[in-house]
Amino acid sequence: MKRFDLIIVGAGPSGLSAAIEAAKRGLDVVVFDENEKPGGQLFKQIHKFFGSKEHRAKVRGFVIGEQLLKEADEAGVKVVLNATVIGLYQDKEVVVKIGEEISHYKGDSIIIATGAAENMVTFPGWTLPGVIGAGAAQTMMNLHGVLPGKKVLMLGSGNVGLVVSFQLLQCGCEVVALVDAAPRVGGYGVHAAKVARTGVPFFLSHTIVKAEGDEAVSGVTIAEVDDKFQFIPGTEKHFDVDTICLAVGLSPMSQLLKMAGAKMEDNPRRGGQVPICDEYGRTSIEGVFVAGDVSGIEEASSAMIEGRMAGIVAAEYLGYIEKEELDSKLKELDCALDGLRQGMFAPSNRGKAIEKTEEGIDISTNLLKKGYIADDEIERFPGITHRKGIHPVIECTQNIPCNPCQDACPKKCISIGENITSLPIVLQDCDCINCGMCVASCSGQAIFLVDEDCGDGTATVTLPYEFLPIPAEGTKGIALGRDGNKVCEATVVSVKTAKAFDKTNLLTMRIPKEYAMSARFFKAEEA
Amino acid sequence: MNSVNDRSRDIGPFVPGPDDDMLICRCEEITKGEIRKAVHEGMWTMTEIRRYLRTGMGLCQGQTCSKLVKGIVARELGISPGELEPATSRVPMRPIEMRIFANEAKEVGDHE
Amino acid sequence: MSNTADVIVIGGGIIGNSCAYYLVKRGLSVIVLEGSDNIGNGGSSRNGGGVRQSGRDVRELPLVMYGIKNLWPHLSEELEVDCEYHQDGNLRLGKNDKHKEILTRLATNAQGCGLDVRMIDAAEVKAINPYLSDEVTCASWCPTDGHANPLTTTLGFYKTARMLGARFITGEKVTELRMVKGKVRKVICASGDVYEGENVIVAAGFDSRAILGTVGVDIPMTRSLLECLVTEAEPHMFDQMLGTAEADFYGHQTKHGSFVFGGSSGFEGCNKDNGTPISSSKTAPCICRGIMKYFPDLADAKIVRTWAGWSDKCADGVAVVGAIDEVPGLYTSCAMSGHGFGIGPAVGNQLAQLIATGTTDVDLSTLRYDRFKAKI
Repeated sequence: MKRFDLIIVGAGPSGLSAAIEAAKRGLDVVVFDENEKPGGQLFKQIHKFFGSKEHRAKVRGFVIGEQLLKEADEAGVKVVLNATVIGLYQDKEVVVKIGEEISHYKGDSIIIATGAAENMVTFPGWTLPGVIGAGAAQTMMNLHGVLPGKKVLMLGSGNVGLVVSFQLLQCGCEVVALVDAAPRVGGYGVHAAKVARTGVPFFLSHTIVKAEGDEAVSGVTIAEVDDKFQFIPGTEKHFDVDTICLAVGLSPMSQLLKMAGAKMEDNPRRGGQVPICDEYGRTSIEGVFVAGDVSGIEEASSAMIEGRMAGIVAAEYLGYIEKEELDSKLKELDCALDGLRQGMFAPSNRGKAIEKTEEGIDISTNLLKKGYIADDEIERFPGITHRKGIHPVIECTQNIPCNPCQDACPKKCISIGENITSLPIVLQDCDCINCGMCVASCSGQAIFLVDEDCGDGTATVTLPYEFLPIPAEGTKGIALGRDGNKVCEATVVSVKTAKAFDKTNLLTMRIPKEYAMSARFFKAEEA
Repeated sequence: MNSVNDRSRDIGPFVPGPDDDMLICRCEEITKGEIRKAVHEGMWTMTEIRRYLRTGMGLCQGQTCSKLVKGIVARELGISPGELEPATSRVPMRPIEMRIFANEAKEVGDHE
Repeated sequence: MSNTADVIVIGGGIIGNSCAYYLVKRGLSVIVLEGSDNIGNGGSSRNGGGVRQSGRDVRELPLVMYGIKNLWPHLSEELEVDCEYHQDGNLRLGKNDKHKEILTRLATNAQGCGLDVRMIDAAEVKAINPYLSDEVTCASWCPTDGHANPLTTTLGFYKTARMLGARFITGEKVTELRMVKGKVRKVICASGDVYEGENVIVAAGFDSRAILGTVGVDIPMTRSLLECLVTEAEPHMFDQMLGTAEADFYGHQTKHGSFVFGGSSGFEGCNKDNGTPISSSKTAPCICRGIMKYFPDLADAKIVRTWAGWSDKCADGVAVVGAIDEVPGLYTSCAMSGHGFGIGPAVGNQLAQLIATGTTDVDLSTLRYDRFKAKI
């Protein structure tokens, strides 16, 4: 039987990362993936990633996918696509369906990196056509170029729900509401804010009562829930929609491990049924390792690090590297992973209601309940400063591990400091040259360049703009506040694009100066 | 690890619910009420529920419903879902045509 | 709750559950101890669902014929569970003279026991099942054979017995039987729990050997892996149970529409396992090739699942059922040799009658535990 040093199942972020590390150390590596394209979820991720440079921050997911593929190719990894691993048998044998036949292969080591699948929730009508997973919507839009629907309701305010809502908006869909049974927004505040400012209403402590329609979804009713998640009568709200997107979490696709006899556990903190494994992915079966979402739901950035760990562990297992090299490399990767697992959204903080930032500032409760920071809350955050002339206004108010903004400014106006989760501050002697690099670098689209008083009664606000069509100079429209409501009329002064901005356009609008600190989005329609 | 489980333990009577006719397993069209009723008929493990009702035995192999079924069974038994055993997984990972499953690629060195 | 009952049944499979059902129906108190976490976790829920008489050893025939005549026809009604019992005949298929010889011998033996089974030619086979390939040249045909759903039947006995008051305990692995004053009495478990009964039935598949060994009784048997697969639901094609002369595969189309087929790769008895009955990578493709030779139309049907189970194979290929005279109060039904499902209800029914009344409707003497003699 054909034998490889390492067989990896899944060519997503963790699988490819594992393959690269193992192949670089001399292992003969093959990666099987059932999809037509490699990269797993990365190729649907059109937004910029958070983190630091080592986590490939501010790079868009699909670009990271391309980078990984190139690295894998250079390292000599064999990636076989349209190859469905249908079984993992004893003696580390995999059976793969390729084309019209099946093949048997043995691996001296195996890494399972099969990722996760979407959860569903039930409500009357949940089986109607038009009720789809948010990930499915993302696949339709970003891989196949198909619009999932015209009017969409999103259930789930985690990062997936928020990111996909934004992508639906970018595709021209109307997102009628973002709904979550939890009392607080689950994902990053910056992701919520960029959706809310376009006018999408958030309904926290609400969930779906029923989906309506005969042959397909034609509407949806939501209602408020109490702290025991029971509907409160009289709070029902109806929306006409053709699509209901569910972003209610993921479950590991750990079936191959289970069928091979690995010890499993049901661990809600890891997202469901996962193999029992150590921190480097060693399962109960000697020589079988796991990496990425299959061993616990996190996100692509941590999956890539876990993949690298598993690849190195496999290399040591097969004697391609010494224990010393393994230990020192793992130590390095541990640090990288720790970096990602810090801040308010760290796995250790899951389920906790955090009241204050690390700096001791009260969290914006409005951000958690409605998806945007209220005008009377914004001033207390350190990214908000006022001065004469153009200067950055950073509406980053939660401690997340992300720092591209401090390196983006050529004038070193922005500082995060040693602690990657600290809120960015705008330095006092800031000498802003209006280059816009900070605006484009912020994966959360939370940085604005504001000239609060242009001297003629107007102000200008430069904002990140990732929508089409790009409004022409002079276009008149309305400025929306953080809550998505109209605050004033606005005129487009310019829209800057540059390679360095990586497709984030910088739209500058002129508005009456009294709205300089409240107008945060531009809508090109007559008032 | 097996744990002693006395199937005569009183879990209370079956009380019909307003959403008992909601489909849970879409592939096999099994409702919430059928699952809840099966628990009261003695099916106390995911494996027994599956074998009794066919939940998770359809084309998706429980990818969609197994968490939902587990939640319903656990609630009916008054335990946490984690106390129920992990769902069974079987080859093949994805449905595969008989003619393809039958068609094993020749290996280098194979003799007719 | 008391750990004492009239009968302690060891094993919660089709045999143990049917024993429990027929015993409680006769007013006896019963405790069933199942070693795994699930009721019906052994061969009872891993077999091909055959309820057949043809092809069996004549020593087993009277018992299975009794079940098919008296129990199976009204089992669904009685248990209030759809056992999906179909009595639409069994075709055992052959393609050449060698097959014909095997089938003819089996049929002749069964006819001697009064079973309606006969050899039919290619034309008659086609008339019964038009989907078969033209390669089929002969078959044995037993119109009173059939098939049922092993999962719902096994769990149906459990459900109804439990409802009638039988106590079932899963995760209770029996390690030892102990005699008290010349009779079997105590049943000791790995958990430390001890149960006591006037009577003990050992129906624990291959594990029966070790359990019976603790009171000095040995049934010569081995453990062998059987493998099955199931397709997605297909439009209705036929209702017969099928087998082949060379046992390439056996199975049927279920009420659900899926086809359940068992089969072999030729490595049965020496398959490797990991402590659980795990499918081997060789067998399912082999079963698929076997099926397609007989049913070319099924080539595009999708396999959704494969599984394996252990059968307890007796040295002479026939079950051991009945009282163990030398240990008063002890009964067994084990070494079912892969035939346990179809015969299961009859075994439970007759053992219950034996314990309650001391007599049986069917003579069980051919299935005695002490029939094994050296060959010379």
